[in-house]
Amino acid sequence: MSAVEVAQVSKVFNLGTADQVDALVDIDLTVEQGEFVSLIGPSGCGKSTLLRLIADLIEPTSGTVLMNAKPAHQARLDQDYGMAFQQSGLFEWRNVQKNIELPLELKGWDKPTRRARSLEMLELVKLGQFAKHMPWQLSGGMQQRVAIARSLAANPPLLLMDEPFGALDEMTREHMQTELLRIRKETGTTIIFVTHSIPEAVYLSDRVVVMSPRPGRITAVVDVVLGSDRTEDTREDEQFYDRITEVREALRGAEMGSAPLGIEDR
Amino acid sequence: MTVVLGAGVDESVISVLPARGAQRKRRRGLRVLMFPITFAIVAALWEGYKVVGPQNGGKILGWKLLPRAGSREMPHVWDMVSRLTRPENGPNSQTIGIVVAKAAFYSFRVALLAFVLGVVIGMVLAILMTRFKFFERALMPYLVISQTVPIVGIAPVLVFILAAWSRNLGDQKWIAASLLGAFLAFFPITIGGLRGLKSASPESIELMDSYAASWWMTLVKLRLPSAAPYLAPAMRVAGAAAVVGVVVSEISVKINQGIGELVALYGQQATNDPAKLFTAVFGAAILGLVMSALVASMEKLMLRSRPVTA
Ligand SMILES: Nc1ncnc2c1ncn2[C@@H]1O[C@H](COP(=O)(O)OP(=O)(O)O)[C@@H](O)[C@H]1O
Ligand SMILES: [Mg+2]
Repeated sequence: MSAVEVAQVSKVFNLGTADQVDALVDIDLTVEQGEFVSLIGPSGCGKSTLLRLIADLIEPTSGTVLMNAKPAHQARLDQDYGMAFQQSGLFEWRNVQKNIELPLELKGWDKPTRRARSLEMLELVKLGQFAKHMPWQLSGGMQQRVAIARSLAANPPLLLMDEPFGALDEMTREHMQTELLRIRKETGTTIIFVTHSIPEAVYLSDRVVVMSPRPGRITAVVDVVLGSDRTEDTREDEQFYDRITEVREALRGAEMGSAPLGIEDR
Repeated sequence: MTVVLGAGVDESVISVLPARGAQRKRRRGLRVLMFPITFAIVAALWEGYKVVGPQNGGKILGWKLLPRAGSREMPHVWDMVSRLTRPENGPNSQTIGIVVAKAAFYSFRVALLAFVLGVVIGMVLAILMTRFKFFERALMPYLVISQTVPIVGIAPVLVFILAAWSRNLGDQKWIAASLLGAFLAFFPITIGGLRGLKSASPESIELMDSYAASWWMTLVKLRLPSAAPYLAPAMRVAGAAAVVGVVVSEISVKINQGIGELVALYGQQATNDPAKLFTAVFGAAILGLVMSALVASMEKLMLRSRPVTA
């Protein structure tokens, strides 16, 4: 049973009006249990739209989305996934711990269980000291870690991330990538990760899904065979550079010769 | 004490700024002193003008702008203060300070009720308008027009309606004053509340959706807390509006327990006893001050633990 199965999905915004947008056309994507899959492509190619379709935040114009063989809608009601966005989206009126407890409150967990769970999650993201801090007292990287802790609090089998490190500086970003891999290993969570950084996609993923715009579609899937034990040294690895080149060329192909727009090449 | 964290790979470096607490304490001390200082300055200006100002008023560029500085028009500050300690009318009547304080307290209670009613009605409308788009489109023009209605004219009508509705209510003219205070107070709350409820970011709404949170849960956990920074200034305006609505209604329908009617009454006696009028004006000013202090402390409570911007 696949973690996520997207079959023949299309999404048209503003159907039948002057500003109709074919955001996604004929998307087929299967993500296996425990897999880490990145979606990469220039701005506007429908990465966020695809993620939100999987999350059942919007409905496909045609096609189906299944999560563990369940319709996406049911999966949302059952809170079978967690989400993290580019903006950490922490509630500024709640302290770190209360932010992490938000999904648990909505699930109706009692207070002691919530407390215990949120502290456990804070240990996972190495912010044990900061339970009572307010979000605005934390750096961008720490806020993003709290957001990840929140998305994993209810222990969902799937994590959907939309450019979660996009607003961070390069150093923090690489640090967060390594942390994410560690967390993934500790929790066994399946992850779908949107990015427009090629090295980020390659470093993190088992597979990189390359997309192109107008209309949004999948043009290539690159298998990243770097093994599961990736460290900071992996970034120096020749294999790593080869995969980066492969993804870059797939992106170029998608743009039919022209240089891809909005892709970070660092 | 505020803790500021530096970004960086390790992110364990914490720099503490102990100066903040002391600074804040000093600022609070200053604010407490602010009131007597301002009062002293105003009193000094008043007395200063009495010394240099023309006894029969004066013109600037042909316009009659300068007020008369005579003691009939501008009694001495000490006369006003000492008037507070003397009896209201005859030698057997109560001290005027007590009369004014009682009237101000009476109006304060009515205005407080008006404020609370205004906040509740204003929030209910804002929530309904956030929930149902058509509600906003249908109602908003009427709400805007409602604020242009002169309440001086409405007050007697409202008393008449109350009397017609129930004989017992007819005597309770303060209900009309309170309703009219609420009538002015709800509007800023609705406008501020509406903006605030809509201020939640699309991402945070999606986050709540991803938790399959109901509309009601999203309201309680996200929209209402997001609205707090917008509601705080709206409440300040609403507090002032409630006071104005109540005081004006009191004059309009002659509620003689209230400070509004006391100002009107003493105004009629001002030719013989000018200081008396100003004692009632003091009372009205203090009523306004107490209301705004109350609202300010509510505001502080609402916005505690928010980032220290502004
Ligand atoms: N709610 C919406 N209404 C109309 N058009 C939309 C909406 N959301 C996204 N789009 C359009 O769909 C396309 C894909 O957008 P998006 O998924 O955000 O791209 P990406 O995340 O890859 O940058 C864009 O052309 C965008 O303008
Ligand atoms: Mg996007």
